[in-house]
Amino acid sequence: MTKKIKLKISARLLKKKLRRKSASSKKQCRFTNNPELAQDIDYKNVDLLSKFLTERGKILPSRISGNSSKYQRLVSREIKKARIMALLPFCATEY
Amino acid sequence: MCKYEILFLATPEITKDESEGIKSSFSKIIRSHKGDMLSFERWGKYRLAYPVKKNEYGVYFLTRFEVENEVKNTLIADLKEAFVFKFNNVVMKNHFERLGSKGPLEYKRPESLEDNPQDVDTFLKKNEMEGLLKKGPVRKAAESQDLPEQDAPVEKEVLDDNNDNQETENYDEKNKA
Repeated sequence: MTKKIKLKISARLLKKKLRRKSASSKKQCRFTNNPELAQDIDYKNVDLLSKFLTERGKILPSRISGNSSKYQRLVSREIKKARIMALLPFCATEY
Repeated sequence: MCKYEILFLATPEITKDESEGIKSSFSKIIRSHKGDMLSFERWGKYRLAYPVKKNEYGVYFLTRFEVENEVKNTLIADLKEAFVFKFNNVVMKNHFERLGSKGPLEYKRPESLEDNPQDVDTFLKKNEMEGLLKKGPVRKAAESQDLPEQDAPVEKEVLDDNNDNQETENYDEKNKA
């Protein structure tokens, strides 16, 4: 009689494996492969810039938005211009 | 030659005469430096992201002009001077920006309140909150007509509920057995 060996994998290990898999897929910058969209980055184009803000009005880090460092710099610079002109909030609270 | 644009924020109470006065004085200053005024646009009234000089609303204007490289610094200084001394009561904020020589002159701007004035009802419909809509006289009349039709499905639903209850009871009995 040969004994059947059951392989047990704990839930913790499974989660660990899943996490490793998810980390391997890198986010892609939406502007590097799309120069037309990159031309739209402007302090007047509030609809585009507001996508890179949190609910509170802070600038999203590139870790989350997926921007390359070149376009992250550009976007953040334009957001700061729009903030000065009161098109975007410095801090989103009701007044 | 290089192109520049000025975006400035005026108080919400600005009149047409005042805005035309600003336009004429700008064109005078630019012409005196041998430049060309390309455009003078009124964006419209906007709700500001934060109050500026105790104003919650403001009117944006965008102007564009062309100058030669040698005179550009003196022209910009003169325009800034005009903002500070002449239009200090009307203009709240201004921003100068140099445009790329090859870049397109088209741009996207946010929608102003004058383009599409929003009622409460349209806002509610846009944000899928139709349950909060006020019931007008037209809607009430429509409901009164639909009442006999609405009763029938309600009865059906009740019947369905009864059936469900019976089924669940049967299930319980089977489980017990």
